[in-house]
Amino acid sequence: MSASTQTGSPVGKTWKSKEEFLGCVILTDWILLVILFAVLLGSFHIHYPLLAGDWDFWIDFKDRRMWPTVAPIVAMCFAAASQSFFWTRFRLPIGATTVVLALLVGEWINRYDNFWGWTFFPINLVFPSALIPMGFWLDIVLMISGSWLVTALVGGLGWGLLFYPINWPVLAQYHQAAEIDGVLLTLADLIGFNYVRTGTPEYIRMVERGTLRTFGKDVVPVAAFFSGFISMLVYFLWWNMGKWFSTTKYLEIEEV
Amino acid sequence: MKSLNMQSMAKSVTARVVRLWVLGLAVASALTALPVMPAAAHGERSQQAFLRMRTLNWYDVNWSKTELNVNDEMELTGKVHVFSGWPQAVARPGESFLNVGEPGPVLIRKSAFVGEVPVPRTFSMDVGKDYEYKIVLKARRQGRYHVHVQINVKDGGPIVGPGQWITIKGDMKDFTNPVTLLQGSTIDLETYGITWTYIYHFFWMAAATAWILYWFMTKGIIVRYWQVKAGMGRELIGQDEKRIGAITLAVVLLAVLVFYAAANREFPRTLPMQAGLLTGISPIDEPRSTVAVQFRGGSYTVPGRELRIRVKVTNNGKEPIRLGEFTSAGLRFLNPDVFTTRPDFPDYLLAERGLSVSDPNPVAPGEARDMEVIVQDARFDIERLSDLAYDTDSQFGGLLFFFSPSGERQRVEIGGPVIPKFQVGATL
Repeated sequence: MSASTQTGSPVGKTWKSKEEFLGCVILTDWILLVILFAVLLGSFHIHYPLLAGDWDFWIDFKDRRMWPTVAPIVAMCFAAASQSFFWTRFRLPIGATTVVLALLVGEWINRYDNFWGWTFFPINLVFPSALIPMGFWLDIVLMISGSWLVTALVGGLGWGLLFYPINWPVLAQYHQAAEIDGVLLTLADLIGFNYVRTGTPEYIRMVERGTLRTFGKDVVPVAAFFSGFISMLVYFLWWNMGKWFSTTKYLEIEEV
Repeated sequence: MKSLNMQSMAKSVTARVVRLWVLGLAVASALTALPVMPAAAHGERSQQAFLRMRTLNWYDVNWSKTELNVNDEMELTGKVHVFSGWPQAVARPGESFLNVGEPGPVLIRKSAFVGEVPVPRTFSMDVGKDYEYKIVLKARRQGRYHVHVQINVKDGGPIVGPGQWITIKGDMKDFTNPVTLLQGSTIDLETYGITWTYIYHFFWMAAATAWILYWFMTKGIIVRYWQVKAGMGRELIGQDEKRIGAITLAVVLLAVLVFYAAANREFPRTLPMQAGLLTGISPIDEPRSTVAVQFRGGSYTVPGRELRIRVKVTNNGKEPIRLGEFTSAGLRFLNPDVFTTRPDFPDYLLAERGLSVSDPNPVAPGEARDMEVIVQDARFDIERLSDLAYDTDSQFGGLLFFFSPSGERQRVEIGGPVIPKFQVGATL
C-alpha cells in the first residue's frame, strides 16, 4: 500500500520517524477496513433478510415478478448509503461492491452454518441472490460520472435491470420441468416441496401474483424496469441517509 | 504533554478492549462446552385448546413404519374432519397446505395426496367435511425424531396433528433423491447444481474482493480522507482511474452476458415456477351416520381433569350401538368396555381408560337416550386442553365414535360451550 505525507504528518511530534508514522497509518487502515466490513455485514444482514426475507431465502420463492421487483429495491438502500460514505469521505469507488460483498459473505455463512449445518436444508434450496455485478455497476457509474445524481438515474435503473440476468445462470437449471404424480413442477418447486419446511407452507409463496398480465410470459423486463425506477428513488433517499450518518458528531464527547 | 495524554489514553483503552475480548472469548468457549439437547417437540401444546379441538379433528392416523434406514420410505396416512363449528377467530381452511411437523427435513416429502389428488400445492377444504390424506416420506437423516401430520391454514396458522417417534438409522451422506426430468434424464436433487452455485457465487465474490483491495491498496483510507478533507478529492480519481473503471465494467458486463447466454444454451427449455390453488377436492364419500347426538351442556372440572358432557343419543340404525371413543386435538379417549385391546397409537395421546358413560348399556335401534359422557385422564391436562377454561371461546369440540356388535363404526361431531368448575366434586 502506498501512503503519502503530502498533507502533512506530525513526524517528530508523536512518531519518531516517517516510517513509523506510515506504518501506523497502514495498520489503522487495515483495522478500519476490517471493522467497516464487519459493521456493514452485520447491519446489512439485518436489513436485507428482514425486507427481502423469503424471496432471498428459498429457491421456490424466486419467481419472475415479485423477486426481481423486491430484492433490488431493498438491496439499494445500503448500497446507496455505503457509496455516499465511501465516495464523499474517501473518493473510494467501492461502496456498493463492499456492501454487497459483505452481505453475501454474511448470507453464505448463515446459509451454510444455519440452514444447512443446523437444519439440513440443502444449499440448492437456500442459496442467496447474486448481487455483486450490480455493485460493480453502481460503483463504476459513480466513479466515471462523479455525480450521485447520474448514479441515481443511470446506476439505479441498471441496478434493477441487471438483477435477473445476473441470477439466471444459477437459477436456470432449477427451472427445468419434472412430472411428479401427474403434476408439472419445476425443480425449484420440487425442492421446496420435498424438503419439508414446517413453518413455510406453500400458500405464502407469492409466485407471479398481481395484475400485470398484458405482457404474457415476458414479465421480467417489466418487473426489472419498475424495480430500477423505484431503485432510483431509493437511491436519492439513502444516499442522503448515508451522508447524514457518515459523521462522528453523534459520538463526540467533550472529555475526549 | 498532549501526545503523552493521548498515548496513555490509547494504552488504557487498548488494555480494556483486550480484557473484554478475552472475557468474551472465555464466555463463548464455555457456552460451546455446555450440553445441547435436541428439541423433543414442536410446540403443539402451546396452541390454544379451542383451536386444536374445534378446527381439525384427526383420526385413523397411521405411521406405516417407526424404524427406517436412510433412503427407506414410509407412509403417514389418516383422515381429518373439518369441524363444523370452526372458530370465528381462525380463518377458514379455504387455502390449506398438507404439511409435516418435523425438526428440519430429516424425512423428505416425496408425495402427498388428499383423497386421490396429489397436493404439492395449496388446496381448499370445506367446513363440515372429512378428507383422507397420505404423505409418502423418505428417511434422510439419522436420528430419532417426532413426526407429526400438520395442515397449515392461511391466516389460521399451522394446526398440528398427532406425532410419532420415528427412528432413522444409517448416514445422511448415503441419502439420494433421484428425480427424472421431463426431458428424460435423471438427477439427484439432493446435490443437483450445488457445485455450480458455489463456483458462480465465489467467482463474483473473488472479483469483488480484488476490486476492493485494488482501491484500498493504492492509497488506503486515511490518506484519502486527508486529501478529500484538504480539497484534493478530484485528484484521487483521474483519467487513468476512470479508464480502469470502464475496462472493469466492460469485463463485468461481458461476463454477465456470457454466463447468461451459456445458461440459456445449456437449459433451452425452462418453465416458470408452478403455483395455484387446487379446488374441488372430493371429501370422503361415506353413508350418512345413523346416529344423532344432541349436545345438552357440559362442564370441565379443572383440578380433576374431567370433561363431562350431557348428550341425547338417537340410534336410527338397525343395530344397537355403544360409545367407544372420544377424540379431540389428536388425543384419543377410549371406553374400556368397548376397546378390549389396545390400538397401536402413540402412548402420550392414548387414554385407554379415559372415557366412560353414565349408562353403559347399548342404545337400541330406534331408541333416544339421555346420557352423561365423562372424559377423564391426565393427558387432558398434560396436553393443555384444560386451558380451555382460560380461552376466550370456551367451547370444546371433537368426534364421538359409536360401535355396533358387527364392528360398524359411526362418527358424530360433538361440540359446544362448557362451564369450568374449579372445585373438586362440583356437579353439572
